[in-house]
Amino acid sequence: MKESSSDIALERRRWLAQLARAPRAALESALDAVCAGGPLPAFEWLRAPQTGLAMVRGRIGGTGDPFNAGEATVTRAVLRLKSDDDAGAVGIAYQLGRDKRRAELAALADAMLQTTSWSDAVREQLLVPLVRVLDEERRERAANTASSRVDFYTMVRGE
Amino acid sequence: MTDKFSSLDTLVRGFADPVHDAQACFRVLLDALARPGTVGSIDAAFDDDVLRRWPAAAFGAMLTLVDFSTPIWLQQPDEALAQAIRFHTDAPLAQTPEAAAFAYVSDAAALPSPDAFALGTPEAPQGSTTLIVRVDALEGGRPLTLSGPGIQSSVRVGPIGIADAFWHARAALAALAPCGIDCYLVCGRSVTGIPRTTRVELN
Repeated sequence: MKESSSDIALERRRWLAQLARAPRAALESALDAVCAGGPLPAFEWLRAPQTGLAMVRGRIGGTGDPFNAGEATVTRAVLRLKSDDDAGAVGIAYQLGRDKRRAELAALADAMLQTTSWSDAVREQLLVPLVRVLDEERRERAANTASSRVDFYTMVRGE
Repeated sequence: MTDKFSSLDTLVRGFADPVHDAQACFRVLLDALARPGTVGSIDAAFDDDVLRRWPAAAFGAMLTLVDFSTPIWLQQPDEALAQAIRFHTDAPLAQTPEAAAFAYVSDAAALPSPDAFALGTPEAPQGSTTLIVRVDALEGGRPLTLSGPGIQSSVRVGPIGIADAFWHARAALAALAPCGIDCYLVCGRSVTGIPRTTRVELN
């Protein structure tokens, strides 16, 4: 192994964040493409998809105290791959919303990214286009917000 | 390769149907304490690697009763069990028996004295520790006669592996009522309850 485990943990953290934002259609079509029409890899549930509430906390400014902003619906799932050569890879998904199939696909993608046989294909078919879409959306949102920006300033009153 | 990503590779699976299995288990555990000395059976399906390691009744009872607010103490270090409890129930592990709401005793012969556990307080007797004790068998050991609430006259049990000293020390706690400890004795899928209100006589 060339990479140290902390590099891998960091990388996984990044793709977990990306998978958490992935729309269901993107996950579905990308995983289908990876499997080239065949069935998705077999897995067993460690925690079948379940929907619950998570408290979202916020903080205003760099020095503000954290406060509870409100509760968000979260769906989570944990599964373990069953296939012979990659047995044991555990995939995790936490997502906003109540789409259980989407959580299942994201967890499956996470597990596949940890295997040697699927990793490259999933990266290429799913993560790369996904990052492009997410970046595009962020840029668009930032541009929309920037257009309504108001600069506050105070004129110095003459003495 | 996968071991670099997570330590969950060896995690055992919990209930196949978390809600209904936990409800069924809870009913059995409730009945066991309500009718001391009767033998209940926990029938939830578990994987083979669970059944190889722990009695199904003990594992089912822990999944059912333990949650984030109830620290559990393991008599013997057991990384696989600790991991399963953390993952499936979010429960913290207690470092000492008196800090625990539940205790899993896998070696009944080395069972600590009952007053090593939390007994609750008169204001909050529910703060006591509930023991889940693995025994070699529920019948055929030291004959015990149980009597008290939930028992018509008396009932005999014979768990194998619990020292007499434990029952003597437990009898001494009767004066502290309503404080005391509740015990589940488990063997395979079978479970028997001995709540704090039950008098245990050695004969």
